[in-house]
Amino acid sequence: MKTKDTNINTTTKPTWCPGCFNFQILAGFKSFLAGELKKGKSKEDFAICSGIACQGKIFDYVNLNGLNTLHGRELPTALGMKIGNPNLDVYAFGGDGGTYSEGISHLIHAAKQNIDITLTVHNNQVFALTVGQPTAVTEQGYVDKTTPEGVFSKPLNPIKLMLNSNCSFVARVFADVKQVEEVYKEASKHRGFKFIEIIQPCIIFHADKGYKEHLKIIDKKHDVHDFDKAMKLASEWDYDGVDKGSKIPVGIFYKEKRPTLEDKHWQLKKLIKKKKSWKEFKR
Amino acid sequence: MKYNILFGGKAGQGANILTHILAESLAEEGYHVFYYRDYKSLIRGGHGFNVLTFSDKPVHSNESKMDVLVALDEETINLHKKELKKEGVIIEGKHENMYFAGRMYKALGIDFSLLDKKLKELRRYEENLKQAKEGYNSQKKGFEIVKIKKEKRDFLSGSIAITEGAIKSGIDCYYAYPMTPATAVLEHLAQKQKEHGHLTLELENEIAVANAGCGSAITGAKTMIGTSGGGFALMTEALSMCGVAEIPLVFYLAQRAGPASGVATYTAQADLHMARHAGHGEFPRVVLASGDPTETQEITSQAFYLSQKYSCPSIILSDKHLAESYYTSKRKPIITKVGNLTKFGRYNSYEKDSKTGSATEDAEIIKKNVEERKKKWENLKKECEKFNGYKIYGKKDSKNCIVFWGSTKGAILDSIEGLDVCAIQILYIEPFPRKVQKILENKKKIISIENNATGQLCDVIREHTGILISDKNKILRYDARPFLCDELKKEIERKLK
Repeated sequence: MKTKDTNINTTTKPTWCPGCFNFQILAGFKSFLAGELKKGKSKEDFAICSGIACQGKIFDYVNLNGLNTLHGRELPTALGMKIGNPNLDVYAFGGDGGTYSEGISHLIHAAKQNIDITLTVHNNQVFALTVGQPTAVTEQGYVDKTTPEGVFSKPLNPIKLMLNSNCSFVARVFADVKQVEEVYKEASKHRGFKFIEIIQPCIIFHADKGYKEHLKIIDKKHDVHDFDKAMKLASEWDYDGVDKGSKIPVGIFYKEKRPTLEDKHWQLKKLIKKKKSWKEFKR
Repeated sequence: MKYNILFGGKAGQGANILTHILAESLAEEGYHVFYYRDYKSLIRGGHGFNVLTFSDKPVHSNESKMDVLVALDEETINLHKKELKKEGVIIEGKHENMYFAGRMYKALGIDFSLLDKKLKELRRYEENLKQAKEGYNSQKKGFEIVKIKKEKRDFLSGSIAITEGAIKSGIDCYYAYPMTPATAVLEHLAQKQKEHGHLTLELENEIAVANAGCGSAITGAKTMIGTSGGGFALMTEALSMCGVAEIPLVFYLAQRAGPASGVATYTAQADLHMARHAGHGEFPRVVLASGDPTETQEITSQAFYLSQKYSCPSIILSDKHLAESYYTSKRKPIITKVGNLTKFGRYNSYEKDSKTGSATEDAEIIKKNVEERKKKWENLKKECEKFNGYKIYGKKDSKNCIVFWGSTKGAILDSIEGLDVCAIQILYIEPFPRKVQKILENKKKIISIENNATGQLCDVIREHTGILISDKNKILRYDARPFLCDELKKEIERKLK
């Protein structure tokens, strides 16, 4: 009998900066995947899709089928893959540049549609691969070559944005292998659009300002089904830097069970029931 | 015998449904029928009109002079009286649309039972029937009509033809964002989901549409997306991704008058160069343009076939005139079938190393990839020779020749009869049919007829054959209206002098 291919590594050598927090995210995701494969799933059950920037390179280091798509377009591409074969467990990866600037309309609509895919946003609060320009979540006063007067507007709060967009699974963790693996495990139990933001300081252009010391693990007693409480929790940190008393809540903010995009289309339900893709299904 | 009938009124008065049911009945009676819709970008009020032309001989366009004005309001008479022939008739009165249907059926000698059948398919049957009967009974004089043998014909618009072609090609997924004149395909395909089992989805913008299209296409789903010029502009980055990642996505581009928002509900053929050149970088693509609904079904199936076989994007060019006009056709389309040949794997918008599927910056691999795409392009060109990349009409051995593409076909076919000229239609814009060069080299005079201001097909011909068509030999219409065959005939005659 042919042994099942469980090798999720590629031979491509990572080109992230030594010590980049993206390695933590990669390790956490791979660790989660390995666990899933051990439980009996096969590589073909998964698909990966990433945008363009530092985070997008994760596609090169995880040996799954998918598409390293255009900058900011990981969500519509992932949606297309999910509709193309609704039996796939699709993982989309974006950065704060691509997802919160270039492709922000897709983010809001993916949450609204509640398509059953998982989005990871690597949030380093900067356009790193283009050498350090501010994004929609960079703190006020941030200076670089393109913005000598400093950022003048308040950063976007993506957690609040997602809550207001009726996202059915909203989580934020720090780029730490354990936290990352754990949040994927939790997310995999949820059907619907899963928004996971990972605070991932850029060691070159947006160094860790001590975020780790300010993390506040969301209390186990937090009712994840209480929208107002989730909003309150999301308001505790506004991405505008940290000071002495800052607390950055991490964990699952909100969860809601509701029909997914797949549930609304009988064609997709049929494919799921027959465990087939469009290609395999004879009409 | 040929009749040109104009139906005019305010948007919401029901001139469209009136035109459509009468056109359908005439087609069922065995006549050749063509009708065009002229409407403005508004929902209620204003003025809109349709021109229906029917004959006992093949017809594919309107003429400039009307035999009948069916006026649902005063404005129609004020605006169109000057188009009425001397002996023309005005049918008017303060009535609802089906009253006029009754009068027209009677005047054209069509049995009331056919109208009744149509009314049964509509809402408000009783009310409509009352109106129709009143109209039918009040029409005393009949028009001089040649009765002909009933023959079964298709009666389709270009939009329905795209839908039918896609369904016959086994489409799985269609994505779109509403934009005139492409929206009708989204509507028709959405209505056909139950019957055929494919899926249609409206997404947040054309960028999402194109990228979702790429996502579905790589999983092996046969996928098409649709839009007009403005939306296509937003899709061009994804089109380029289809090129490098080798994604078999079919694009439906229904042109309207531009630039930018242009003239939303009117026609033009000004996006030929955009379809050929859109997208950064160099990559193989297919660009096809049909001239009537039967051809549209055929090239739609060819687009799916070529995309699947050569893992490349295909663009189907249409325009408002072809998409929204209705044509009778006796000829059945020849559908080119293809399976779902695409295999899910590791696709990349970057230049990739095929061993890992990962992005590469390696000079040797990049060179190899580029050369492979070039070779694919060559193979694609060879295969396309088996399809009708071009067609010749009229007096084939004439020294005079018209070149055209797309929806101008109707008016050209109707105007060249009896003239010392042949007409060459280019259906394959990319890859361009090689044999056209020899044919054109043997012609003394080449005239181009296009619905744009610069003669874009002339540029394509110059690029591929070296043959220059001078500006004085171009017949161009760029007021966002289609050619009318009687006016066009005069222009062709002038050019032939």
